[in-house]
Amino acid sequence: MTSRPELHQQYDIIASLQPALHVPQNCNYENPDSLFRALMHPPHDVGGQHDVPVYYEEKEEEEWELNTYVTCEVLGWKGIWSAEERRRRADNDLGYTLYLGMPYYGRWIWSAARMLVDKKHISLTELLDKIAEVKSRHEKK
Amino acid sequence: MKKNETLRTPSTPSRFKVGDRVQVRDMPNMFYTRTQNYVRGVTGTIAACTYKDLIPEDEAFNYDGRLEQYYIIRFRQKDLWEEYPFDNDTLQTEFPDRWLDPLETGQNRKK
Repeated sequence: MTSRPELHQQYDIIASLQPALHVPQNCNYENPDSLFRALMHPPHDVGGQHDVPVYYEEKEEEEWELNTYVTCEVLGWKGIWSAEERRRRADNDLGYTLYLGMPYYGRWIWSAARMLVDKKHISLTELLDKIAEVKSRHEKK
Repeated sequence: MKKNETLRTPSTPSRFKVGDRVQVRDMPNMFYTRTQNYVRGVTGTIAACTYKDLIPEDEAFNYDGRLEQYYIIRFRQKDLWEEYPFDNDTLQTEFPDRWLDPLETGQNRKK
């Protein structure tokens, strides 16, 4: 159970993740064309944008990353989605905050779960129950 | 829609050949694309005719639509980024037919 101070800390963190537009926004009815275009820009099309230097790390894939890759490929092999649909979901549909905030294969497994719920292969309540069950099993170890 | 050749609309014929000058269309951006923002409206040269395949905007939504010819386009880096320091450097990327407009030789060509 999340304590009230923890809850308020979460709200502070969520607020700090909001895109820094530097001007107040509130469901604007009128957006200048340049802002509309920026809003419609897909997060994964990063070419040409300014960025900070990225720390290069030599690192092997972790086991969960390899499992994620295999899971997503098997879903493709079974005809449940294609690589292009996976890119659309994992690179595009999740929005800037998740795109920039999660590890590469975190976006893959997030999009696979979302796709299975969207296509009614599993219900969200089934998924949440399973995650809670696995989490509690690991906490007992 | 299941993958099934008979459900596909007939593929469009190839409009361009290697060496043709083309301009990338600046279509609206919505939901999904693989056409980078920085190439839109820029003129390049067909470097290769690759294969016919589904277009990303259809395939990303599991819509088994028309097949289109893909082309590799070569751009001068200086045409993409004015401040780019080297005259001879190029960048290649790939698009299906629908993203390209023909350009007559000499028309709108950047110096």
